Amino acid sequence: MDCFIFEAAGKYLGIKAQYVYRIVDDVNPARVPLLPSCHAGIIYDRGDLFDVIDVGRLLENDSAPPPDKTTYVILLKWNQRRLGLIPERIVGIKWIQDTADKKSRTVFTSEGRTIQMISPEEIWKMLLDLPYGH
Amino acid sequence: MVVVGAAQQFTDNVITALAVSAALALAAGIIFGGIFSRSIVRRLNSLSSVAKEISHGDLSKEIPFLSKDEIRDLEEVFASMVADLRGIISEIQQVSSQIEKTGRDLGIQIDKVLVNSRGIDESALAIAKGSEAQSLIVQKTSLILDKSLEQMDEAAAQSAQTASKANEARLKTEAGEANARETLHYLEEVLKQTVENAKPIYRLSGKVEKIKMVMSVIEELSQKTDLLSLNASIEATRAGEMGKGFALVANEIRNMAENSRNSSHEIRAIVDDIFKDNKAVAAALRKSEEDISKGREIIHGIVGTFGEMLSGVKEISNEVKEVGNVARKQVKEISGLLNQFQELSRLAQENFVSTQKTTIGTKNQKEEIQEIVRAANALNVLSQKMMKTQQRFRLRGT
Repeated sequence: MDCFIFEAAGKYLGIKAQYVYRIVDDVNPARVPLLPSCHAGIIYDRGDLFDVIDVGRLLENDSAPPPDKTTYVILLKWNQRRLGLIPERIVGIKWIQDTADKKSRTVFTSEGRTIQMISPEEIWKMLLDLPYGH
Repeated sequence: MVVVGAAQQFTDNVITALAVSAALALAAGIIFGGIFSRSIVRRLNSLSSVAKEISHGDLSKEIPFLSKDEIRDLEEVFASMVADLRGIISEIQQVSSQIEKTGRDLGIQIDKVLVNSRGIDESALAIAKGSEAQSLIVQKTSLILDKSLEQMDEAAAQSAQTASKANEARLKTEAGEANARETLHYLEEVLKQTVENAKPIYRLSGKVEKIKMVMSVIEELSQKTDLLSLNASIEATRAGEMGKGFALVANEIRNMAENSRNSSHEIRAIVDDIFKDNKAVAAALRKSEEDISKGREIIHGIVGTFGEMLSGVKEISNEVKEVGNVARKQVKEISGLLNQFQELSRLAQENFVSTQKTTIGTKNQKEEIQEIVRAANALNVLSQKMMKTQQRFRLRGT
């Protein structure tokens, strides 16, 4: 399978490439009050509104506010949902043998990287589990 | 005494003559009888008694002329003799009294001479002591002067050396001033050269800034290319099997963009280093210019100081020369003074010797005066004896 790999919270994360809509840069998300600190704001791109999430902060549960300007934002689209992810670094699209452990959901690349697979639904769920205003 | 002896001898002779006359008269009387015996005996007795009194020193008696016979001659001769004796004794008395008076005067004079001699002796001793002390003082002063002369000689030599060194210092100061002026000239040249050399460095700084701007554009381009290639990859993935080739191209483009970005990062780092170094070089050049300017001011100050030093050294040199002249003059004067002191010392020595001789002379004189005193005393004793002896003679009216 084609896997979009990026780096966040000190680890390699992978999302199936089919969920990635496009990559944008040089965006200024509009801040939305009373949302969790990992929520960097919303952006409007080609007729769609995207909630922009700082993945590193989401995974590390960091309460510090996200940076005002981001370099890249990975825009995801699935099941009529829109989500933008702010990575620390984008590795790119890699084809990976789908031999992931169903339980731990980790795969290994030919370069020897350990990639944790994550789905947009899981990210969405993590967002929903956050306490209000955190 | 001689006179008395002569008188006595004379008296004895007279007595002898009288005895002979008496014997002759007696014989004549015996021969001629006793015509004249009575008168002759009487007159002879008279003469005899007078002679006896004369023999006892009484010359005041007058010889009586009792007749005009032959005995009269004897009586007259006798009277004449007595008169002569009287005159002699009188003269002797006068002479002895004069001798006594002279002896007394001599004693007084000798006493005075003795007193004066003692005074001379004491004065000579005092002069001798004074001369000795004077001689010592003069010798000490001579030694001090001699030392002073040596010191003044050394001072004069030192002054000469100092003058020579001051002259050397003047020459060196002049050389130093010339060197400082030359250094200043070179420094001006260096400053000009530094300013000229700094211009490319300042221009380089501007160029580096431009390179950085270009690098920013390149980085932006590489970032856009990276983004474009990523999105192309996503689109190729979405296209499925049909987009595989495009995905590879997009991936290669992304790798190229990545390489380009890395290279641009490296170039940026290098340019940053160049910019930093250039900044440091420019700062160093500005600092060098400032330092050179300061150095120029300092050397200006040094040149001024050298000028002041030169005038100071010249003044010192002149003063040292003056001191040397004064020292030499003093040496000459002290040398003359030393000669005078040596002459004075010699005179003091001579004075000392003379006073010693004077002391010895006064001592001898004292001894001689004492001899004279003894002789005068003996003369006094003799004159007293003579006076005593002549007192035995009684003259008329005494």
